[in-house]
Amino acid sequence: MERAPISPAPPVPRAPLIKNLEFKIGLLLALTVLLIAAFFAYALYARGAFQVSNKLILTAEDVEGVSIGMPISYSGFPIGKVSRLHLLDDGQIQIELAIPREDARWLRESSVFTLEKALVGGAKIKAHTTNLQDPPLADGAVRPLYTGDSTKDIPVLIAKVKNILANVETMTAAGAPINQTLDHVEVMTGRMAGENGLIGGLMGSPEDARKVVKALDRADTLLASLNGVSLKVDGVLSKVDRRLFDQHGVMDQAQLAIVNVNAILGDARESLKKADAILANAQTASKDLTQITGNVAEATTDMGRLRLDIDDSLRKVNHLINEINKKWPFARDVEIKTP
Amino acid sequence: MTNFLTRRGAALLAMLRVWRATLSLTGEVVVAALSPAVYNSATRTVVMKQIYFTAVQILVPFTLFAAILSFVLIQIVVGTAAKYGLSEYALEMVVRLLVLEVLPLVTALFVALRSGSAINTEVALMRINNELEALEDSGVDTLRLEFMPRVIGGMLSVLSLTAITSVLALVLAYLAVYGLQPWSLPDFTRVMGQVFGGGILAGLGAKALVFGLAVTVIPVAEGLATPKMMFMAPISVLRGMVRLFFVLMFIEVASLAFKYI
Amino acid sequence: MPLRANLSVLDNIALIPQYRHNLDYETASGQAWNLLLLSGVESAALKRDPQLDHVERFTAKLLRAAIEQPPIILIDRPALLLPDTHYPRFLRGMLERLSDHLNDCWILDYRWNAPLYHPHPPSPAPR
Repeated sequence: MERAPISPAPPVPRAPLIKNLEFKIGLLLALTVLLIAAFFAYALYARGAFQVSNKLILTAEDVEGVSIGMPISYSGFPIGKVSRLHLLDDGQIQIELAIPREDARWLRESSVFTLEKALVGGAKIKAHTTNLQDPPLADGAVRPLYTGDSTKDIPVLIAKVKNILANVETMTAAGAPINQTLDHVEVMTGRMAGENGLIGGLMGSPEDARKVVKALDRADTLLASLNGVSLKVDGVLSKVDRRLFDQHGVMDQAQLAIVNVNAILGDARESLKKADAILANAQTASKDLTQITGNVAEATTDMGRLRLDIDDSLRKVNHLINEINKKWPFARDVEIKTP
Repeated sequence: MTNFLTRRGAALLAMLRVWRATLSLTGEVVVAALSPAVYNSATRTVVMKQIYFTAVQILVPFTLFAAILSFVLIQIVVGTAAKYGLSEYALEMVVRLLVLEVLPLVTALFVALRSGSAINTEVALMRINNELEALEDSGVDTLRLEFMPRVIGGMLSVLSLTAITSVLALVLAYLAVYGLQPWSLPDFTRVMGQVFGGGILAGLGAKALVFGLAVTVIPVAEGLATPKMMFMAPISVLRGMVRLFFVLMFIEVASLAFKYI
Repeated sequence: MPLRANLSVLDNIALIPQYRHNLDYETASGQAWNLLLLSGVESAALKRDPQLDHVERFTAKLLRAAIEQPPIILIDRPALLLPDTHYPRFLRGMLERLSDHLNDCWILDYRWNAPLYHPHPPSPAPR
């Protein structure tokens, strides 16, 4: 206890040391009691102590990720929560849900219940009611809970994406045709750019150009096959989609990944188109000596841009891999480098 | 070597003695606090003064501080959760973090710094100056007049400060997550229902009370254990505060372990 | 025995009946105030221990003992508590003023101080 300041009050049987001590203490204690009592009542209310609720029993094989108090949602709105879990003798699991009366109208005889697990975050119990004109679901009804696990399809997807990436890697590895070609083109344009090397550049260009064209053809084929793969993955996903009832949200991640792959492939294609254009330029140039000096300068800057574009695409692919790695624990390190 | 061991052993024994004295004092105080015969006009005055100095005097600045702390923490948690797409868990996280852990602990630390140290000093000085014996000689039970009311006052103060700051934090959390509108109350209520089970609520109350007990009993016990020499008063306060710190942390860790392991 | 340092003289004296007989504060401090008026040190009522001079402190201690009307009050070597006062006369006057509230009062002092208490030593118990 601190020493209170001495009040200079006149020494009549003394003034109290602290003004309104009793009042202040009483106020504080009353406030405290009030707050605690109110909060306690609120907690009881929040836990549904004062709520009349219907019981709904769902049976499932596996309730991993389900916990007491977990909400059940209808169109994304929580309409009730898990109140009890128990394991039956036959290995089935019963999930008891409490649905407040006013929310029970969203559940009909024809309602279907699913348990969905996402990559991030906990599992979700969802109710799907297609026809709200059906008779309402009775109190204490027993319904099966369907489990849809999008994560099961991820390994397949990952394997495919890896395949694509391996292809991209061979394409861009040191000594790969396209790189050699690019190197050659660089050397060539370098030579062309040099004051004395114009003829040397011209001399070397036809073979190099052929090589480049060949490499580009190969890359195109590769991209076509990549496209095929991604289409296949898309197919898998749509199959998964079809297998589950109403899957938006769960498959978003995977679909997003595919969209990314597609976008990157598009980018790569763009880059290659540009390379084509440049090579076309170069070919025209080799035919037409007089135009060459102007075009060479253009070609060299274009070449630099092409290089940047390809680098960019690769970085995106790399990023995608990292993303997938982050989301999928067993994927090993994949690294793509431009030489 | 033997000498060293002997000294270490003596120090250890002294430490154990202090802990035992603390525990027995705790027992006595609790027993006294629960027996209505102990309360009379004089003890009530001391209880009220204790509450006044521990809670009422600091209520406004401490509440302001707690509000700022809560606000900053809420913003951090909500912002981070939104960045990782986990907004739906932000509110629960905020409530668990602030109301269940941070605010009770901060309150206890604040009261420990302000009133715990004062109590420790006062009791140490009372003991050094023989004031305690003087009271006993005049037929006043010091445990009942001086110590028990301080403990009661400390406990009530920690409890009410915790309650006030916690409710404030809940309001701030609602505002931070949903903004200034009442339509999300059902959502908020659902999350509250998930967080505050009976056990959690009882644990929170018990924790606040145990914090209040520690914040007052340990300084009193340490003050009573002061050797009767003036220069020992600062050492007594120092020891008391260190022990109090460890006990508070121990309570916090124990409550965490109890809840989440 | 020392006074409680963080209570005023008045509170120190009033505390005893307040605690022992569960009087409310007004009654108890009223009693204490009367005693202080009787002994003539009412100016010290709201002071605390460190601010008191020797006479005031001595009186406060005496009153704290006296308020419960114990059968015997023993003053041990008053010279130690009242170093700068001619204490025999002071004591005599004080005890007479408080005589309604005292039953028996013994003063312990050294034998060589005995002559100081003449002609009316309440109970000079030689030592």
